[in-house]
Amino acid sequence: MIHIITALNRHLYEARLEELFRLRHEIFVGERGWKALEKPDGREIDDYDNTDSVYFVAIDDDRIVGGHRLYPTTKPTMLGDVFPHLAAVRGVPEDEATWEWSRYFVVKGKRDGKLNLALLAAVQELCLEEGIAEISAVMETWWLPRFQQTGFTVRPLGLPALVNNEWTMAGIIEISAETLAHVKNAAGIHGSVLVRRGPQRPLIDRTLVMVHRATRAGA
Amino acid sequence: MAVADDYGRDALDFIEDLDRVTTASAAMDAMEEAFGRFGFRTLIVTGLPNPEQRFEQVVLAKRWPAEWFKLYTANDYIRVDPVARQCRRSYNPFEWSEAPFNRENDKRALEVMNRASDFNMSNGFIIPVHGENARDACVSLGGMHLDLNRRSKPALHLMAMYGFERVRKLLAPQTLTQTRLTPREREVLVWAAQGKSAWDIGGILGIAQRTAEEHLAAAGRKLRASNRVHAVAIAIRDRIIEP
Repeated sequence: MIHIITALNRHLYEARLEELFRLRHEIFVGERGWKALEKPDGREIDDYDNTDSVYFVAIDDDRIVGGHRLYPTTKPTMLGDVFPHLAAVRGVPEDEATWEWSRYFVVKGKRDGKLNLALLAAVQELCLEEGIAEISAVMETWWLPRFQQTGFTVRPLGLPALVNNEWTMAGIIEISAETLAHVKNAAGIHGSVLVRRGPQRPLIDRTLVMVHRATRAGA
Repeated sequence: MAVADDYGRDALDFIEDLDRVTTASAAMDAMEEAFGRFGFRTLIVTGLPNPEQRFEQVVLAKRWPAEWFKLYTANDYIRVDPVARQCRRSYNPFEWSEAPFNRENDKRALEVMNRASDFNMSNGFIIPVHGENARDACVSLGGMHLDLNRRSKPALHLMAMYGFERVRKLLAPQTLTQTRLTPREREVLVWAAQGKSAWDIGGILGIAQRTAEEHLAAAGRKLRASNRVHAVAIAIRDRIIEP
């Protein structure tokens, strides 16, 4: 089951968050070799880990086995701050209904497919619930066929470039009930994959979205 | 002189237009035209066969000289083609000339490369595509006078990946994914791989022995296995289950 952690309920998950940051360090610094993320205290925390972050954490047998993160594009994002060249053609997205998706991982030994599919279903399900229309991501190009073959629609924002010596691109993934159904079917999952404990509040202020869109339409 | 932005805009426009084509043939036409502007004259969208498959079985679509394809398949060149070999090892696109092989010792590889030049198939660029279940596939482009440089290659890379997906999607569903097992079928194979009998598996999963046997049989049929041991071996080899 995939737990959702936000500023509102993180008091229920403080130990888990510690576990998450250490696991992220093991995987992204240790295994993938992203030295730029290395931290002396072994906790991988960056500029997009704060009260605006939404964490997805898959827990099995009392330990974290996978996860990822969402961050609003109405705030400074990784794509805008670090990789704007990857969005040189279509531009860096900035919209209440577009969130940035990052730090996707599955622990060794669990990379056989089912957990991966559950994690993909989770992001679609939460975004549908919250009215998030699409998610932006910086991804190695080898992710693209995997996403596509799982039924995800990915729109590129620019051409790929080498990052850490790996071909990397920026894309926008569409959120839809159809995609969610496709992934759940492939995974043999029925019902929700999410666990949402504690206080909740909508991630998007819908009135703001409506005003913003009306303004744009008039401009 | 084309500027990086033009490569980028053209590539993304091509990708958007691909969404509108409704047949694999139309997708291939679009790809031929788009890649043609970089000097490419041949194109193939294909899986890479496992030892039990023939090349022809996994080709999705091609614009190759007919005689070259006949020669290539008759001689089973896919097994010794250095470009195909490198493609299995790499996530990164590369020029055909960059595929390593030993000119002295690897006679068969040399043969492929020599015969290829008879058909003007010596220069090219290949974009590996590794999908679900680590299925190996690629888009391979050939031509003589190519616009291949630091800025055009990323454009070709992205266009080819989207071209691959469009063709794959438009063809009959059971092509590259013909060995897609249901989660239950995978599950029983995982237990069979650990030596469990159908009776054991039934107990473990809380299903009847006969049901477990049916799942095993279905998996075996999909994998074209001769028996249960063979099915497990194929599933592990094709990375459908972890050993």
